Amino acid sequence: MIIAYWTLVALVAQTALIVLVIVRVKAGRRLKEAWHEEYYRRLRPALDRYLDTQEPQREISRLRGWQKDRFLAPLIVDRLMLLTGAEREDIIRLAHDSGLIDIYLRAVSSSRRWRRARGAEYLGYLGGADAAYPVSALLSDDNETVRAVAARALARIGTKEAVGMLFPKLDAASEITRLRVAENLERVGHLAVEPLLALLKDVDLRETHEAGIVMAAKVLGNLHAEDARKVLRTAAIDSASVNVRAQATLALGKIGNPEDLLIVIDRTHDPEWCVRGQAANALGMMGDASAIPSLRALASDRSWWVRRNATFSLAKTGPAGEAALVSLLETGDRFARRRAVATMEALGITRRAVRNLSKPGPSGNRSREIVGNVCRALDSRYLKNLSKTLDDDENRAVLRGIIDAENAEDQKVVNLHNPSARRLG
Amino acid sequence: MNAAEWFVMAWNYSLLVYILFLNAFMLLLYVCAVFAIRHHNQREIFLGLSDLALSNHTTPVSVIVPAYCEEATILSSVKSFLSLRYPVFEIVVVNDGSRDSTLTLLVDEFNLFESDQPVRNQLRTKPIRAVYASASEPLIVIDKVNGGKADALNVGICAASYPLVCCIDADIILDSDALLRLARPLVESEEVVAVGGIVRVANGCEVEAGRISKIATPRSPVANLQIVEYLRAFLVGRTGWAALNALLIISGAFGMFRRQTLIDVGGYASDSVGEDMEIVARIHRQKKEHGEPYKITFIPDPVSWTEAPATLRVLRRQRDRWHRGLMDTLIRHRKMLLNPRYGTVGMLAMPYYFLFEFAGPIVEILGYVVLVTSYSLGFLDFWFAVVIAMAAIGLGVLLSVAAILLEEMRLNRYPRWYDIMKLTFYAISENFGYRQLSTFWRAWAIVSFLRKSKAWGDMERKGFQPPPPAPLIPLNPALSVKPVVPRRDNPFPFLSDLR
Repeated sequence: MIIAYWTLVALVAQTALIVLVIVRVKAGRRLKEAWHEEYYRRLRPALDRYLDTQEPQREISRLRGWQKDRFLAPLIVDRLMLLTGAEREDIIRLAHDSGLIDIYLRAVSSSRRWRRARGAEYLGYLGGADAAYPVSALLSDDNETVRAVAARALARIGTKEAVGMLFPKLDAASEITRLRVAENLERVGHLAVEPLLALLKDVDLRETHEAGIVMAAKVLGNLHAEDARKVLRTAAIDSASVNVRAQATLALGKIGNPEDLLIVIDRTHDPEWCVRGQAANALGMMGDASAIPSLRALASDRSWWVRRNATFSLAKTGPAGEAALVSLLETGDRFARRRAVATMEALGITRRAVRNLSKPGPSGNRSREIVGNVCRALDSRYLKNLSKTLDDDENRAVLRGIIDAENAEDQKVVNLHNPSARRLG
Repeated sequence: MNAAEWFVMAWNYSLLVYILFLNAFMLLLYVCAVFAIRHHNQREIFLGLSDLALSNHTTPVSVIVPAYCEEATILSSVKSFLSLRYPVFEIVVVNDGSRDSTLTLLVDEFNLFESDQPVRNQLRTKPIRAVYASASEPLIVIDKVNGGKADALNVGICAASYPLVCCIDADIILDSDALLRLARPLVESEEVVAVGGIVRVANGCEVEAGRISKIATPRSPVANLQIVEYLRAFLVGRTGWAALNALLIISGAFGMFRRQTLIDVGGYASDSVGEDMEIVARIHRQKKEHGEPYKITFIPDPVSWTEAPATLRVLRRQRDRWHRGLMDTLIRHRKMLLNPRYGTVGMLAMPYYFLFEFAGPIVEILGYVVLVTSYSLGFLDFWFAVVIAMAAIGLGVLLSVAAILLEEMRLNRYPRWYDIMKLTFYAISENFGYRQLSTFWRAWAIVSFLRKSKAWGDMERKGFQPPPPAPLIPLNPALSVKPVVPRRDNPFPFLSDLR
């Protein structure tokens, strides 16, 4: 009985204790939020005054080290995002003068990983070129998050030295590391072009470091690096690696120089589907009408991805491309017809044609022909919905006439072959 | 002391030891969960989610949504999924032979067209009738013959274009950065092959445009009790197991995998009711048997919400199915039990699930039977029985309230005092009636499992919008998609660029 009694007391006491802790945690959080808000309420105006006058502010100079770390540094970083020019330099000078940089330089050598990460993060924002070397030491840290933060910080520092420290990791065995470094090199911008070109040009690396080379080609394309065109052309044609050829082709499309058009068109005949697919994408990005015959041919490719990309790219090559897209409505392949119709709807081509329905002359005839072909190629659901939104009564009447005529024609065919069949989508 | 008294005494002591072991295990998981969540929160400061969201290099994701008779919620769900924040992703809705207008609604609303997109035949599935695509949204809808959720997921995996697949329920509500948070462990580390996410109870919350706009506890006691259960199960249980790399279940409502890992293990098992647990167990097994380093992890960020059953009737069916799924998985993978070859999974997780989750209801009900019988026969030491009862109930109360404390300390998803106090009340009262009822349901599930019942039962979903009226249009059964010859390697290396 005594055991039972004390067991009950112990359990009730422990439960009550936990409930009290819940109350304490919640109350404590509210108080902490209020306390933090009070700090920010005093520091924000002080920071504004400093930016106006460049004079030391009492509220800032009285802060202790941990208060500068917890309150001042986040405020400075927030302001940094919004400032340019002299004001930006002023606020970075404040970070130096207030001792924040020293705090974070010590933090990157801390035994605690989150201190190291925090140090790297803020040095990336505030440390400038001098911070590149201490931050780069963290690229070999044991902790994945610390390494990621260090890479991001170096990208923010963005100097040539910082890029040089990041660059060797582009060829790391780990895909995640390569992705992260590529991301950060893109963030750095054109300073990254030269080392990336060196990687692409190095013949010895091509076979053994394919992943890094592919990543380099991708980054160069995203950076629209004109200087890289010659190397990318060579890679698009000569590389033994399918992935390199594909990525180099796409990069040429992203750069978009008309002189590369013939190379990209040549890639539409590559035996590998992913190279042809990227060539179709690239031609769409370049938007040149002379690519239309190649895209039209790719719209009937044996690979679905190539057909899909070519169809979408046709719509991006101007009026002639749109006409080529419309010509797909008459192809024997029902999927190609439907894909073409859907692309036309998505890109507003059908809507433009509908607006011109009541016009006389060749443009009106063309519009009516397009709309008729759309009706035949696909269920007229989209057009029926569109007719409800038209302001112009004349266009609406013509559209309804076309839809009704095509539906009557459909019904004849349906009744003849299979009365119960019904097209859907 | 005669034999009957001896038996009662032995049983009582065994039961006490059982209860103490169970709670010691839960305490271990709780401690692991506290440290894991603390570590996660500290790391979250350096998450770089905005960098991940804007990056050209973030691994693309295919979100697979199996749908069966979801006309009430499918449109709002798909629209909310399409507005998720992630650089490159696609939504693959698999219409599993719905008998309502799920497919028609999708085709009409998103202006889908029938596509010749190939579906790689890398997993055995029921036939596919048609594939529909959108020209303006990253959305594919696959219409197939009814084959169950697992089969629908397998079709989705085959159709997925990207190396990461996120399997979600059609009626789940996701925060806008849910994909980013779930994908992050997979993007950060190649060892991570699967990530589970915490699923919260959406009952009582306000939903706007497919997102939770205000979090609150519901009025229904049944729903509140489930909130406490979910907190204990997800926050404590799964976080703790994941910290030990012995997580045996990733919720079918919200989980992300490497696509190749799913293909390698053969996809979801169509003949299992608990396919979500079964596939995770199979991944553990395969990886251990091949000696491959891997991790199955869990993120405690509360970014997904689901409607929990609001009535006992529907709840009972759900728990019955879950327990049958659990039993099925444990029996299929019994080889791992107490087998050192399978590490913490075999030596810790499997014994725990066998002894406490599977056998727990039997032990508990036997306990009541012995208690009543021995009391009526005059064998029972009354105070000892009180001690056992207090150990069982009291420790249960302690763990439930501790789960509320963990939620408040680390996640703070219920900002109002009223909600947290209400949950604390339900954490205490849960152990006086509700848990016993749940035990009875699970015990009954053992009976139905032995009777080989594979039914899911109907889940009555109220949804978050009134269902729009739409006629049922018969599909053309003559349509079918020719399967593509499978390739082992990923034939779509740069799909993010091909789109």
